[in-house]
Amino acid sequence: MNRLKPAAPLLTLLPAMALVPVLIVTWTGLHGGGLSIWQQFLLGALHPSLEPDLLQAVWHGLGVTMATALLSWSLSLLFGVLLGSACADVVWRSWSLPTWPATGLRRGLAIPRAVHELVWGLLLLQVFGLHPYVAVAAIAIPYSALVARIWRDHLDSADHRPLDALISAGVHPVSALMTALNPGMGTVLMSYGGYRLECALRSATLLGVFGLGGLGTELQLTLQSLQFRELWTGLWVLAAVMLILEQLLRFWRERSGVGVHGQRRILLFGTLAIVLGVIGTFWLRHIVPDQFSGLSWIGMEVPSWTQLNAAATELPWLRMILETLGLTVLAAGIAIGLPPLALLLWPSPRWHRCCSMFWACMRWIPPPLMVLLLLLSNRPSLAIGALAIGLHNSGVMGRLLLEGLQQQSDLRQEALRAMGSSERISWLYGLLSPQSPSYLAYGAYRSDVILRETVVVGVIGGSGLGWQLLESLSSFHWAAVVLVLCCYCALTISGESLSDRCRSLWLQS
Amino acid sequence: MNVSLSGPRGDRLRSISLSVFEGERIALLGRSGAGKSTLLAIANGSLRVDKGEVRWRGASIRTMPRRNKREIGMLWQDLLLVEELSVGQNVNSGALGRHNLIWGLANLLFNVDQSACKHCLQRAGLDAGLIERGLIDAPIRQLSGGQRQRVALARLLRQQPQLILADEPIANLDPAIASELLDHLLNRAPEGPLNCGAKAIVISLHQPELVQRFDRVIGLQDGELVMDQPSEQLTAADLSRLYEAG
Amino acid sequence: MTKPLTRVRKKGAVVLLALFCGQGATVLPAQAQSILRIGAIPDQNPERLNRRYGQLATELSDQLKVPVRYVPVSNYPAAVSAFRTGSLDLVWFGGLTGIQARLQTPGAQVLAQRAIDANFNSVFIANTSAGLQPISSIDGLKALNGKRFTFGSESSTSGRLMPQHFLAQAGVTPKQFAGGQAGFSGSHDATIALVQSGSYQAGALSEPVWNVAVKNGKVDPNKVKVIWKTPSFGNYHWVVRPNLDQRFGKGFTTKLQKAILGLAPTNERQKNILELFAAQRFVPAQESQYQPIEEVGRQLGKIR
Repeated sequence: MNRLKPAAPLLTLLPAMALVPVLIVTWTGLHGGGLSIWQQFLLGALHPSLEPDLLQAVWHGLGVTMATALLSWSLSLLFGVLLGSACADVVWRSWSLPTWPATGLRRGLAIPRAVHELVWGLLLLQVFGLHPYVAVAAIAIPYSALVARIWRDHLDSADHRPLDALISAGVHPVSALMTALNPGMGTVLMSYGGYRLECALRSATLLGVFGLGGLGTELQLTLQSLQFRELWTGLWVLAAVMLILEQLLRFWRERSGVGVHGQRRILLFGTLAIVLGVIGTFWLRHIVPDQFSGLSWIGMEVPSWTQLNAAATELPWLRMILETLGLTVLAAGIAIGLPPLALLLWPSPRWHRCCSMFWACMRWIPPPLMVLLLLLSNRPSLAIGALAIGLHNSGVMGRLLLEGLQQQSDLRQEALRAMGSSERISWLYGLLSPQSPSYLAYGAYRSDVILRETVVVGVIGGSGLGWQLLESLSSFHWAAVVLVLCCYCALTISGESLSDRCRSLWLQS
Repeated sequence: MNVSLSGPRGDRLRSISLSVFEGERIALLGRSGAGKSTLLAIANGSLRVDKGEVRWRGASIRTMPRRNKREIGMLWQDLLLVEELSVGQNVNSGALGRHNLIWGLANLLFNVDQSACKHCLQRAGLDAGLIERGLIDAPIRQLSGGQRQRVALARLLRQQPQLILADEPIANLDPAIASELLDHLLNRAPEGPLNCGAKAIVISLHQPELVQRFDRVIGLQDGELVMDQPSEQLTAADLSRLYEAG
Repeated sequence: MTKPLTRVRKKGAVVLLALFCGQGATVLPAQAQSILRIGAIPDQNPERLNRRYGQLATELSDQLKVPVRYVPVSNYPAAVSAFRTGSLDLVWFGGLTGIQARLQTPGAQVLAQRAIDANFNSVFIANTSAGLQPISSIDGLKALNGKRFTFGSESSTSGRLMPQHFLAQAGVTPKQFAGGQAGFSGSHDATIALVQSGSYQAGALSEPVWNVAVKNGKVDPNKVKVIWKTPSFGNYHWVVRPNLDQRFGKGFTTKLQKAILGLAPTNERQKNILELFAAQRFVPAQESQYQPIEEVGRQLGKIR
């Protein structure tokens, strides 16, 4: 009896099924009404505005963005690694302690992760006022929790035999952990940590909430007023920064060898992360000196039980949750399934380079811009939102996939090719298969991010939890805000345990 | 049918020219680093040569259509099984050369052709009871070293090659299992692999005492072909020369 | 081959870092105490916002002899909250956000408005292909039933609150639009673009923004038309925090109000500022003018 049990590489491809309904809806809703605006947008790319005032503002914004990104990135790596270690079972076991505190901490960390940094920003703003450090905290909190989850997963899934050997030999747990797990974890830190810097850079849109300006704010406001030439100035600058960052990271990765040299590199990377954080702090103080007024706690109204009850009855919860779930599942399907599918279609280095460039573009274009562009030539629908968020995140997933594939030996692919398999099949079996488990793990983390990002697509029709959250925040309806955030946390936690269970069901047994 | 190769590649192999004929069972001997693995990888086409050519039935294996490639089967030293896939899927990956992409995708969804799979596993010497108890669905990483070796062999059988190249298939096995595996590979009995289409076999190994089971012995030394003779004519002196000289 | 290349890259990175560090120097460090912080809701393009409030900050600083700084907050509720927490002292709010800010900050005062803000209008626009005819009375809005409809930003008075109010008066709730909900384009300009493209069949936005877009040729009259102009309501106004007199000296709030009301097109910089605000003069404003908006806000749940 054949049991239906998709293997790992197929699991990476299956999510691409989400493209089918999305593309059907998109196709039927297609119209040419927005062509003139598309044209204006594309022409803007050739003629970005070069007015001195604007350039100065962008230059200043770039500084603020870079400084904040460095600081929040450094903090999120630091706290992420600490928290991630604290909620890893293996760490508690090394001290022969029970592991339930780790499990508890792990579940608790789903809360900071479930809330979008914009919402963190608005909430912290309520109690601390405008302050650059609060902006940094708003970015660092969800990011730390995300890094913590990845760190923990890698720690717990690493090979523990060398560690157990050291512990049983009477080595102190700290030095045992450092010796046994350092090499593998160092690679994770460098590859994933480097990539987080790019995320921190892109997420700095939030700075506008704190009146710090920044590149993201510039992009957001020029987009709102459809000033495409000004928008392109910011976009080109962002592209240049992302490209430089990418090159620096690649240069760094290529330089990092194995053995003692590699170990030194990893230590250097850790030090560099902290030093860059310190540089970011001073830089920020230097650019916006007069925003560093005293930081004090300002109280805010806490919703009462009756208000919560009222809010719970007035909102259409089922519909909101279903719409959010639908959007998340479709978008995550596109984000996870599209990259392996695209690479599979034509596994040649040249095509893979094309894909890599396409994904860089997808990461580069902010999701609100993507939604607007898609919506200009299509009817508003959930599919458009899913497509926009999915494409943007497929850029991230594609990058992680290609990076993983490049670091992997292609011996198995060669072996299959020698057995007479076609290019596609030998790529699928020999190269994608070994990469699948870690790719799927990253896919699960991405789904978390996508759930949070559903906040940004109110333009497709105010619906779903994300829109309701923004609506409640703008009405200062705290009772509803609290409830919607609870929903987000519940969805994140159940999503996490679902993905854990699926992984143990399909990948481990 | 002949495989010929000449020309140096890097500094591992000097000019080598040799042919393999139908029905031959060849032992490839030499010290570690003599170039045995390299020679086999070149012969199987997974390693490209800068100069010279490998011909299979008169056609260069570089330009040969891919359906002919599957006629050469290889048992790699480190097996190159795909750890993330199940035993059955790995065995079936030997047959990928005969099927299209859809079949390859279907194999990832559920084990296709289970009976063929089981047959190959059995012929590779795996316990029938174990196979019936769901070995096919087990992931590779749960297997012992000997079992992995047999799964790789089953994949080779599933491929139904005309020529088998095996790179130190018994290096990491205990002597009893090694001998049994070699029996399986070299067996001319009706259920042996040579009887299911494979017409010639080249095995590299480190155990000179086993060469009497082969028809012909090829010796490599520092990338050079230094010995090529029928195994009956092989003397102890020949062997010690092969393993001693630096 | 790689070595010289990497050296160049390294040098490039150092130069880049030095440049970034140097660029902060363009902003002069200022004394951190008693700065008057002005802010605004982000309803314009950033370049215009920067020019408008940058010049106003210089003007007020010269007149009042205190340091004035423009803090560019890019989010409507963030501006309200920053005002409540005391991070912003003087803010140019919209009708709805102004009321939210004043309700959350007891003692906050309305300082001034523009002449047009007392009688502000929104317009309903429609794509010509939607088959919507110009409407003469409010009941005509019923024609929007079942159409794809978009508002602007969630917190906008003219782009969301008042249009939704008038729709409700005609008996149309967002649930009756196609798809069971209205879109939120995020801004007035985006509303025009989306309705013009036909993605949404109709939308509502501020009349001045529409007029400027028409004047600048950003509107294709064959594709999008005004179908209704709403009755007028109060909108933008300057709101100031209650504690300025304690921080900057007695009578400071009055002096600030006088400075704003005194802006006149006689002086070059003041003329510029007024032009950027699209106003002849600022005029005093009464809190009572915003009473109707507050009621509408409460009805629609935007004010709690």
